[in-house]
Amino acid sequence: MISLSSQFPILVALAPLMAAPFCALFRGNTLPWAMTTIISAFSFYVSLSLLFSVVASGPISYELGGWAPPWGIEYVVDPLSGFMLVLISGISTGVLLFARDSITKEVPAHQLGLFFAAYLLSLTGMLGICITGDAFNIFVFLEIMSLSSYALIAMGERTDRRALTAAFQYLIIGTVGATFYLTGVGLIYMMTGTLNIADIASRFPEIEGTRPILAGVGFIIVGICIKLALFPMHVWLPNSYTYAPNIITAFFAGTATKVSVYLLIRFIFTVFGPNYSFAGLGLTDVLMPLAILGFLSMSAVAIFQTNLKRLLAYSSVAQLGYMVLGIALASEAGLTASVVHIFNHAVVKTGLFLSVGCMFYVVGSTYLKDLQGVGRRMPLTTFGFALGGLGLIGVPLTPGFISKWYLVVAVLEKGSYFGYALVAALMVSSLLAVIYIWRVVEVAYFRPPPEGTETQEAPLSLLIPTWIFILGSFYFGIETSFNVGFAKTIASFLMGGA
Amino acid sequence: MIEGLNPGLILILGALLVPLTSGFIRSLLILALPVLALVQIYTLGLGTWGHFEFLGLSLEITRVDPLSRIFGTIFCIAAFMGMVYALHVKDTIQHFVALIYIGSAIGAVFAGDMITLFVFWELTAISSVFLIWASRTERAYRAGMRYLIIQVTSGVILLGGIIVYYQDTGSIAFDYIGLTGIAGCLILIAFGIKSAFPLLHNWVQDSYPEATVTGTVILSAFTTKLAIYALARAFPGTDILIPIGGAMILLPIVYVVLENDLRRVLAYSLNSQLGYMVIGVGIGSELALNGTAAHVFVHIMYKSLLFMCMGAVLFRTGTVKVTELGGLYKSMPITTVFCLIGAVSIAAFPLTGGFVSKAMIQSAALNGGLFILWPVMLFACAGIMDHSGLKVPFFTFFSKDRGIRVQEAPMNMLIAMGIAAFFCIGIGVFPGLLFELLPYAPTYNPYSFGHIVSALQLLFFAILAFMLLIRFKVYPSELRSTNLDFDWFYRVPLKRLILAIGRLILIVWNWSLGIANDVLRYIIGLVSETHSSGKIMARTTASSTAVVVIVALLGVLLVFLYQFQQ
Amino acid sequence: MSNPDDEKKYWLEEPANINKIFYAVIGLCVLVALPKVLTLLDILLFKQGRFELADFFVFYTFFGVIGYVMMILLAKKLRGFLMRDEDYYD
Repeated sequence: MISLSSQFPILVALAPLMAAPFCALFRGNTLPWAMTTIISAFSFYVSLSLLFSVVASGPISYELGGWAPPWGIEYVVDPLSGFMLVLISGISTGVLLFARDSITKEVPAHQLGLFFAAYLLSLTGMLGICITGDAFNIFVFLEIMSLSSYALIAMGERTDRRALTAAFQYLIIGTVGATFYLTGVGLIYMMTGTLNIADIASRFPEIEGTRPILAGVGFIIVGICIKLALFPMHVWLPNSYTYAPNIITAFFAGTATKVSVYLLIRFIFTVFGPNYSFAGLGLTDVLMPLAILGFLSMSAVAIFQTNLKRLLAYSSVAQLGYMVLGIALASEAGLTASVVHIFNHAVVKTGLFLSVGCMFYVVGSTYLKDLQGVGRRMPLTTFGFALGGLGLIGVPLTPGFISKWYLVVAVLEKGSYFGYALVAALMVSSLLAVIYIWRVVEVAYFRPPPEGTETQEAPLSLLIPTWIFILGSFYFGIETSFNVGFAKTIASFLMGGA
Repeated sequence: MIEGLNPGLILILGALLVPLTSGFIRSLLILALPVLALVQIYTLGLGTWGHFEFLGLSLEITRVDPLSRIFGTIFCIAAFMGMVYALHVKDTIQHFVALIYIGSAIGAVFAGDMITLFVFWELTAISSVFLIWASRTERAYRAGMRYLIIQVTSGVILLGGIIVYYQDTGSIAFDYIGLTGIAGCLILIAFGIKSAFPLLHNWVQDSYPEATVTGTVILSAFTTKLAIYALARAFPGTDILIPIGGAMILLPIVYVVLENDLRRVLAYSLNSQLGYMVIGVGIGSELALNGTAAHVFVHIMYKSLLFMCMGAVLFRTGTVKVTELGGLYKSMPITTVFCLIGAVSIAAFPLTGGFVSKAMIQSAALNGGLFILWPVMLFACAGIMDHSGLKVPFFTFFSKDRGIRVQEAPMNMLIAMGIAAFFCIGIGVFPGLLFELLPYAPTYNPYSFGHIVSALQLLFFAILAFMLLIRFKVYPSELRSTNLDFDWFYRVPLKRLILAIGRLILIVWNWSLGIANDVLRYIIGLVSETHSSGKIMARTTASSTAVVVIVALLGVLLVFLYQFQQ
Repeated sequence: MSNPDDEKKYWLEEPANINKIFYAVIGLCVLVALPKVLTLLDILLFKQGRFELADFFVFYTFFGVIGYVMMILLAKKLRGFLMRDEDYYD
């Protein structure tokens, strides 16, 4: 007898995929939203149970359609992918709780069905990327995610027409990234004759250093880094995040780029193997300068922004630099820091974007000049934002502190003056974060609100999800056994498994 | 009550409620909190709770063992007395910070690891300074600032010691540390500052007399005794503590004779009393540690009692200067009686608490063969008899009547003094009750005939000498003065030196600041040239440009990877 | 504040009474020294301390009187060196 739970690996991605067309047919604002939330919560539940069973009894392999790998497509849940599934579906569910009242202000009612259908497809893509064990299947899910996200971003056009150009630019650059990725996979397929990741990894040592493989690695790394918005390939991100509907920004900030970081980790550590990636290909020399330049330069850019969403978007690009730096350190500690930061930043940034969503709901703008005195108009929301900002800076008791702590530990492991210089760079970047958060706090609390405005909080349906993320971020900043514990497991699994 | 909750946190959390209350409810709240904390200590029983892993460090928030329990008990009782004494105060800030301060002192006592200890340690420093600042005078502000700097320094040194200790041993458990290596030295210095070791002691005499009437009573009970607890926990039997304690007993005595401000007299004598405790820790035998714990208990009682009496005098007359007081027994008879009880207790007359606890430490010293230290302690007995036993009550309540006529102290103050006096006498008469609480099994009987007679000989002849000196006018007349102490070194020459260095540094600083300013300005200019809105790094480039960048990057990467071809 | 003259006369204000206290203290001193004196006269065996010095007959009284007076005199001497104006540090 086949129990339902044995089908969980396919269900986690299949459920949103199957639900999407139905969603597109629904009308009204409640029905599509309710269906999406239920499906997302279901995926969250399935992800959690997958993660627990991975913890209990090791990685799960699922053969799609009963075809044994490497001929058929294989779905694999290991600690990393299980962790990502929980993170993505969890954030998606949290954001959806927020979505109902927020999205009706930004998207016309007759498009809501389509909106949530695209949302579900995007969720499918992200979950699929994390769970599949097949390099080509990754491409398919990557495209599902990307195409739906172009549409989702473009739906911000009611608020600002620039959403259309932002989406179009994302489409162009995203397609280039996907193409590069596909080219790389093609080259590897040419040399190994297989698309199954585990299979590729096992054959990789024989073909290391051949010219097609080198080119394939180059294409894949650049392709993924485009999707990841690694500096200087980030141009699409600030506009997309700024003009997308608020819940989409919150959703993508927590998940989309994190999925790309996942892909980068997957390819570097599982497919190429950490030894070959760093000793044999010198990827540290490629990734580290970009990461460092990224978090320094993008934090500086964030300081000058006049639109709060754009400010946070640049901050996201900077924070991605931290994650890539952790990977580029080529050590277990570095990888731990990176995975911890994926989780922590996702929680904090989602909370921040949700509180911005609350402000938009009431004020109708996210430009700093319109948010003057918002601390007095919306005390709870603004306080939440300030707390989230502390997390972004990395004040103790916030998750940002935990990730920076592990990153600094990993950096210092490198020893020597280089390590100290890196720590100094991290400090400078944190200082820049203090400045850009302070700018918002200053505008929100120390400028008088415009005349004639009254205290008006966002409705509870928005406030509660926001505060769940803010308080959650503090929870994970103090009780770190989940995020840090898993990050350590994952890092030792990936380093040891190679 | 909540399982494993550190009793100190009850006061700290309760303090957060204080600003929300007023009047009768507030009085009830601030009196209930110490009682609740005490109940929590005894409902917990012995054991450890609240184990956390934080950044790889294993924390232990609550640890109740016999040593911490007796300190916690006396702190709770002292807190209750202090709160009764402060009931008439309407200043929200004072109640709030007093509770935070007491709570963190109790929290530190029950801390099972050094990180928790450090957090509470610093919290006592930061919260207590507000009790000094609450006087709201310029003098108090500056004394408070000096106090804060020294206290926080102690915390920073402690943190440094903890870090080194952790690196050496991989543990942060707050247990026996001993004077080994840099870690031990740093931690000992940190504890030493707070327990007012000689030459590190001036903050006591500097700050306590500047606090508010009630603030001094509360301050005097906790900070230094917390440090004694920490010493007893981490450094029992460390030999160096014995000479340190001896010097601690002796040095303040001279100043006590000369000092004009009676609260400062008490602060000096407190310092001297701490010497006994440090000696007790330094001997480190079971009897000595028992004696130390007992002495802390008794000492808090009579020292609080004396500070409360002086506080009442200050409250009613507006001064505690010897040169302005005298003959107050007519106006404040009850306070006079309480002050005398405190005086005989600190002088260690038989049937008072001081007799019992000092006898234990002295016996421990003899058992340990410390024959040089022993006469020092005896001499100090005579000294203490003078300064706290005779000088304080004599010059305040008797001596020349200066015509000051005031009311008796308020009822709440009298009740608080009554509680303390009750304990002073009660422990003296029934020492067995206190012995039950001590960390080790008691085997000591203070009331032997020889001991009683010896003590009485010493005390009565000292009184005789005092009377003779007064009669023949040899006793130094009290003058309005400042007496130089070790703090002169940092308040005058060091200050001048620092000012001079400061000026030099300022010149160099301004000069380098100018350069740094220019450099920074240039960098900021450059950054804003390139990074501000619409500039090259922040511009939304055309998609074609972006793609060109990406392709160029791909090209560079491919060329880079080409070198790895095999 | 009432006029001190109207108050009742306190017992302590009589100089004769202060003398009485003084003599009472001397009497007490003699009383507590008595066991030692009797030991010296071989009427009583009273050992005070655990070592020789403490059994020297004036040991505690010596400490009481001489120690005390020395301390006060020392303090008086030091005053010349240590004393400054009340607002010295201000």
